[in-house]
Amino acid sequence: MRLSSGAMRLVAENLSRSFGRRAFGPVSFRVETGRVLGVAGENGSGKTTLLKTLAGLIRPSAGRAKIFLDDEEAGDGHEPRDIPWRIGWVAPDLALYGELTAEENLTFFERVRGLAPAPGRARTLLERVGLPSESHSQKSLSSLSTGQRQRVKLAFATLHEPDLLLLDEPGANLDEAGRSIVQKVVASQRLRGITVIASNDPRDLALSDERVTLS
Amino acid sequence: MSAPHKATGILPAAIAVFRRELLAEWRTRVAVNSLFLFAFAVLVLVAYAVGPTRLSPEDRPTVNAVLLWVVLFFSAMTGLSRTFVHEEDAGTAAALRLSAPPPSVLLGKLLANVALLGAVTAFIVPLFVVLMGFTIRDLPLFVLLLLLGTFGLASASTFTAALVSKASARGTLFAVLAIPLLLPPLVGAVLATRVAATETEFSAGLDFARLLVAYDGVVTTAAFLLFDAVWRE
Repeated sequence: MRLSSGAMRLVAENLSRSFGRRAFGPVSFRVETGRVLGVAGENGSGKTTLLKTLAGLIRPSAGRAKIFLDDEEAGDGHEPRDIPWRIGWVAPDLALYGELTAEENLTFFERVRGLAPAPGRARTLLERVGLPSESHSQKSLSSLSTGQRQRVKLAFATLHEPDLLLLDEPGANLDEAGRSIVQKVVASQRLRGITVIASNDPRDLALSDERVTLS
Repeated sequence: MSAPHKATGILPAAIAVFRRELLAEWRTRVAVNSLFLFAFAVLVLVAYAVGPTRLSPEDRPTVNAVLLWVVLFFSAMTGLSRTFVHEEDAGTAAALRLSAPPPSVLLGKLLANVALLGAVTAFIVPLFVVLMGFTIRDLPLFVLLLLLGTFGLASASTFTAALVSKASARGTLFAVLAIPLLLPPLVGAVLATRVAATETEFSAGLDFARLLVAYDGVVTTAAFLLFDAVWRE
């Protein structure tokens, strides 16, 4: 496990997004390394859109989101879309390749992310999220249950040890054992960076240190 | 806090995308089936309707050249748009956007489409030559034209597929954008194929080959320059 060696900050200032009508915001917050931000709000309040904006998948309509890394206290920071290799993202509408096995999926993303080769890293990660070997090495992802696929998504999001981990409804479709894996993932992330959790589930939000509520 | 890696090298990531595309295609055979079935069905239809005997010897090179490229063109239109559309439909595009450098996505998918269309071409052309009694006098020129034409078709189709992948009426939009983009090289390929069928001197078709090289270069360069904006916005 890579330990944090410096401070990073995620800063949102008057961040908002609209698609004709307002999706969320304006919202402002500041999160430091080791902290977990919870994003609460009713259905349709823009939690998923906010996390996609923080992931750099959507441009904000107004305001800005910046990531400040270790030695860049005085700099302008980075837009999330400029440093995707530092971001991990799990969401209900994230899908991995159904025709590949879970292990093949992670190995593929290892390669396209340019991670240093580490034999067995994908398998170890899948075992850490509680997937038995017959699930990750033999069955295609599309033949796994929704809960098992959610575990694979957690493994995908943490594969590259991101500095910023964005978890959108991380406990969705997970049983109690799966929820304890989410807790472990968040605990590990505290040692290396920032976590943002968007959820309506009090059990997910209980993992956060501070909270913003979208309306 | 330093990430265990920085921006990825484009070539290794492109090879990974290429391998994944082929592996997925091998397991599902969706694009392969539609490409091969379409190409084979049209070829059989043309062979029965026109055949080698219903054309006068003077018309044969021109008509056969047109028919050959019509088969390849519509095969490309049928199967090659899937590469990006499927990523959006299946919801995998976001994971790829977060993980892979944009040029590597385009390069990997372009190589996969070239391989796919190359396989269809290798399957269809010998059958076409036999069934239609299509005599090729300049084989090296013909092979060169097939390589350049296939690459041009794949390159333009791949980029157009990326352009339309987020649109709602993708099928129509793909055709509307791809047809004008593909007409110039198709005209050149047809004229050059006629030359390959009638002339024995390689130099007779070199101007057309140069035209196709220029087209392939311009389209592929433009695709790589524009793809980042197309893919990430």
